[in-house]
Amino acid sequence: MNRRKFLGLGLGLGVTAMMLPTALSAVNFRETKIGAFEGPKSHTVDDAMTELFGTSKTTAGKVKLKAPDIAENGAVVPLQISSKLAGKTVAVFQDANPESLVAVFTVPDNGIIDYKLRIKLAKTGTVTVVVQDGSTLFSASKMVKVTAGGCGG
Amino acid sequence: MAKKSRIKAKEKKGITTVKAMAKHVMLSYAEAKRAKKEVNFITSMVAKVDGKIVYEVSTSQFLSKNPFVQFKFKGANKGKELEFTWTDLKGDTRTDKKKIK
Repeated sequence: MNRRKFLGLGLGLGVTAMMLPTALSAVNFRETKIGAFEGPKSHTVDDAMTELFGTSKTTAGKVKLKAPDIAENGAVVPLQISSKLAGKTVAVFQDANPESLVAVFTVPDNGIIDYKLRIKLAKTGTVTVVVQDGSTLFSASKMVKVTAGGCGG
Repeated sequence: MAKKSRIKAKEKKGITTVKAMAKHVMLSYAEAKRAKKEVNFITSMVAKVDGKIVYEVSTSQFLSKNPFVQFKFKGANKGKELEFTWTDLKGDTRTDKKKIK
């Protein structure tokens, strides 16, 4: 009887050990805010923003977003985000793809908000960047025209 | 399997600029359906120096194929090692290291 108990205990421990998430990052928004990435609330920029930040009210300014006016290839659209704000969270949205949230950055203590990344856009759309500083959301957006075919349209 | 990420890290006047490119197919749901392949994309990227996080992002399916990122941070010296890790939807991870120049 004792041995059985022991085995059961071992098994239980093993399962718990496997259940523990292999946490690589301190904040994983895909786990805590999955609704903003996928599901019914992820299709529009406003809904996804509300899911992520609790509000979709933003103040324009204090954030710089560099993006091309015309992207010949929608598969690679270079973006640059920069800001002098001491914000802790930076999110990138767009309204061309089925789901609107692209990425959420967590700015570490000695980090600088100066990020470059390349995203995909299915069609012409507006890219919006939001920096959360305290309880205020600062945003910048830019329309990117995507021309398929590469004739410069 | 996952290939090596290309990383460049340079320190100048106390600010380190890192350019990194992860090798990944980044198939979004729509693309995967069209190509009849499995959905897979990088869901998070983390960079560390001395075990301290200097860059962290949760990403979705809309990053480009072989995603390229550039970021900056303060307070790292030349010769320190930068650790760049990504995790994808299937749970695969890859960590690559590069000395800061």
